[in-house]
Amino acid sequence: MASEIETIRDWVIKGKRKEAVEETRKALAAGADPGAIMKDGLIAAMSIVGQKFSSGEFFLPHMMIAARAMTEVVEVIKPLLVGEAAQTKGKAVIGTVAGDFHDIGKNIVKMMMEGAGYEVVDLGVDVGVDKFVDAVRKEAPDFLLMSALITLTMESTRRTIDALIAAGLRAGVKVGVGGAPLTQKFANEIGADFYGADAYDCVQACNRLVH
Amino acid sequence: MTPRERVLTALKRGQPDQVPWIENDVEEEIQIALMDGRTDFTPGEFCRALGMDAFGYHFPTGHTATAGQAMQTSGTASAKEAWYHPKRVTFDFIPPWIADMGTDPKTGRTFVKHGLLTSRDSLKLFDEFLPDPDHPARYDQIAEWLAKYREDYAVFARIRLGSASTFESMGLDVFSLMIFDDPDLVKEIHRRFSEWSARVVQHLNKMDFDFIWANDDHADNKAPWVNMEMYEEFMKPSQMLVAKEIRKPWIFHSDGNLFPILDGLLTLGMNAVHPVQPAAMDINDLKARYGDRVCIVGNIDLDYTLTRGTPEETEAEVKDRIEKVGKGGGYMISSANSITDYCKVENVRAMSRAVKKYGKYA
Repeated sequence: MASEIETIRDWVIKGKRKEAVEETRKALAAGADPGAIMKDGLIAAMSIVGQKFSSGEFFLPHMMIAARAMTEVVEVIKPLLVGEAAQTKGKAVIGTVAGDFHDIGKNIVKMMMEGAGYEVVDLGVDVGVDKFVDAVRKEAPDFLLMSALITLTMESTRRTIDALIAAGLRAGVKVGVGGAPLTQKFANEIGADFYGADAYDCVQACNRLVH
Repeated sequence: MTPRERVLTALKRGQPDQVPWIENDVEEEIQIALMDGRTDFTPGEFCRALGMDAFGYHFPTGHTATAGQAMQTSGTASAKEAWYHPKRVTFDFIPPWIADMGTDPKTGRTFVKHGLLTSRDSLKLFDEFLPDPDHPARYDQIAEWLAKYREDYAVFARIRLGSASTFESMGLDVFSLMIFDDPDLVKEIHRRFSEWSARVVQHLNKMDFDFIWANDDHADNKAPWVNMEMYEEFMKPSQMLVAKEIRKPWIFHSDGNLFPILDGLLTLGMNAVHPVQPAAMDINDLKARYGDRVCIVGNIDLDYTLTRGTPEETEAEVKDRIEKVGKGGGYMISSANSITDYCKVENVRAMSRAVKKYGKYA
């Protein structure tokens, strides 16, 4: 069974969605554990995809087709996941900050976080401080992930963290920031818990920090 | 030397009398701030006030300025007419995105909500969105402005090679999937944008522009969106349709880290590359590896220095780039990637002073 799951993993890495789904159905029919497919097939695949992206072997299209293949396999196994296997690793709220309408970076992070087993609540773009705070209050996520792609908008990340403190919510959530003009230095300055240089870096940080 | 001679010398990788300062764009609100609230200045007055050597882009001269990206339009029938008959002084020949556009109510900036070129059926949108590249009106109007305003500055026309248009009009996510699902569709979309720009360039060659600036983002800070193999298959053939028509010196613009595909890009034959974002590319590395092949334009940081830094930091950065990258010529100083409305006015003035102070070649 391990080799069948490895095959699923490899098809997902290659972005071969039809082959990945077919192999998944065969594996399930042969008695494979859906939780094992999720963990050792899909999450393992996206981890490898993230490493390859970080190292410069994979580029955006490779990530996108791998994520799509993973999503289609998830649709097959999701109804069969029970108990602990059905639980996600954690929950993240994500959004691009107020006044910023870039979404590709946020979408890649969302994709990689879901691929890593997290539930992601996507607030979209142009997300104001109040909307982030309301979402943290409502969703009680493990992580708040904010993306800012231009200097004009990055100060909104600071204002959001300040608002979380004022609302008494800061202690309950880990805050990560990322985007072109952001740096580790800026993240430290505003009191964020981490800075993600790319999507895989963000996932690694979340994996380290999740309870 | 005149500013024009200075720029043309640098574009040939020569050493002019001083390091030229050119900008791909200066947003209109900050133009007005730098001109102490005036809106009636000419491009030449603006260049003289700061010590810049070239202009292109657009100016608020005589009309109310709006914040935001003048290059992007909403793609309606009235937008086509607006393209044929520009009301504000401009030197741009940028095609509209074929996309659903939004406008930020607070700043007036336009943005792409989502691309509309997502299927073969959507190809019909090219006729709806793209103006006729042979319609004479825009060329005639801009030729008048060129004659009226050029003085002895280098004047550039901005175009696209077709790649940015493809990415934005498809959406990077759809593009990424379609290069596997329907590669011929991607090639067709890029080809149509490039053929449009190639027609535009044929007209620009007959006009009195000194150089052309092709704006086509290919990358983010980490890497290009495609690898060399994908670039060679999906983008370069169509980009070459435009490049081979260009009869003037030209600058290639893309944000982000271009190193993984730079060897492929350089076969297009550009004279210079811009903006060399500090967070994405090491300009000293670029100069060492490619300085004998291409003029380098850029590298004054927009993420921190010009927008959040101090005049002292700005001066230090300008001095550093001039001394290290300007050595021997083949360099033009510029922000990475434009003077935006959110740059600090005092830092832009500091850049101006520093270029004058440190920019002369011995």
